[in-house]
Amino acid sequence: MNESQQLRDLELDALKEVANVGAGHAATALSQLTNRRVMIDVPEVAVCPIEEAANAVGNGNSVVAAVLMHVLGDLTGRSLLLFEKECAMRLAQMLLDREESASRVFGELEQSSIKETANILTGAYLNGLSDLLGLMLIPSVPSLAVDLCGAILSTTYLNFGHDRSYVIILDTRFKFEPGESSMEGHFVLLPDPASLRVILKAARVK
Amino acid sequence: MRHFVAAGERRVGRSEGTFSVLGLGSCVVIALYDGSSQVGGMAHVLLPDPSYNESPARLWRYATSAIPALIEETIAAGARRGRLSARLVGGACMFRDLLPRDQPNIGERNVAAARLTLAQAGIRVIGEDVGGEFGRSVFFRLSDGRVRVQAHGREHVEI
Repeated sequence: MNESQQLRDLELDALKEVANVGAGHAATALSQLTNRRVMIDVPEVAVCPIEEAANAVGNGNSVVAAVLMHVLGDLTGRSLLLFEKECAMRLAQMLLDREESASRVFGELEQSSIKETANILTGAYLNGLSDLLGLMLIPSVPSLAVDLCGAILSTTYLNFGHDRSYVIILDTRFKFEPGESSMEGHFVLLPDPASLRVILKAARVK
Repeated sequence: MRHFVAAGERRVGRSEGTFSVLGLGSCVVIALYDGSSQVGGMAHVLLPDPSYNESPARLWRYATSAIPALIEETIAAGARRGRLSARLVGGACMFRDLLPRDQPNIGERNVAAARLTLAQAGIRVIGEDVGGEFGRSVFFRLSDGRVRVQAHGREHVEI
């Protein structure tokens, strides 16, 4: 496993491109769902020890709505969709076609709409990867948690990591534009270490 | 003074200040305290034991190796073994529906490993706030050894 802890520049670039294509598709889907402009940042790719992973995406102390899905098929791993809690609330209200201040409670209907959104966005992300890499990718059912970002990240890495000493993180931040700073989130792909080679091979990085 | 204890780290101190962890998920925090000397130590472990991965050298990552080391460090700072007691926090499990049902999740295993290691060392556990499907923030006061636990969407508790 040691060989994949240090990625070469070429490999990092390939993974960034992969994340960019996936997140680009997801952002397009989100934009069409909400009828708003969605911008994505340049993806960040990190390979870090589990001790540091809780702070590797977003702000560890902010409350987020997180939807986790397994990724199965030619590559395995997990997809994690994070919305700032405020963003998740507003998004649910948009999708449910409600007044912005109608509800402050993250109830069953809101949760269900966020999970459904995550289904669509993750589907779009994986479709982007499928087209780019020629791989078959299948998402699992989604699971939602609303909690501190750091707690969600560490729990995800530790419960599902096959090798639990380090994690590979493809993180792309997105934001609604125009919108307040809270109207943002992250598309995160967490490939299993064994799948890293599959991605790089499919991307033809030698 | 508040000191944050990151994952895979520990801190030992005496009589003043607070040791804190924000956003604790499946990890477990072990707080040891000796009321007479007011010496306290806190470890923030990620995994039950070194069999879980390839880096056994990381002592503070695992409950089974961090706890004996933390006991030694609190004793070196002036605590007495016979007066030490422990409080445990964490071991939560989010996304339960994506986990295999036939085996305990990592949070449960962390808590079990911490309890067993403390029992083997003869240290009594006098307070616990563990399990559940929510993250926690932990504040360990060195003046009296009490631990305040905050969770998103729940009243805070003190153990």
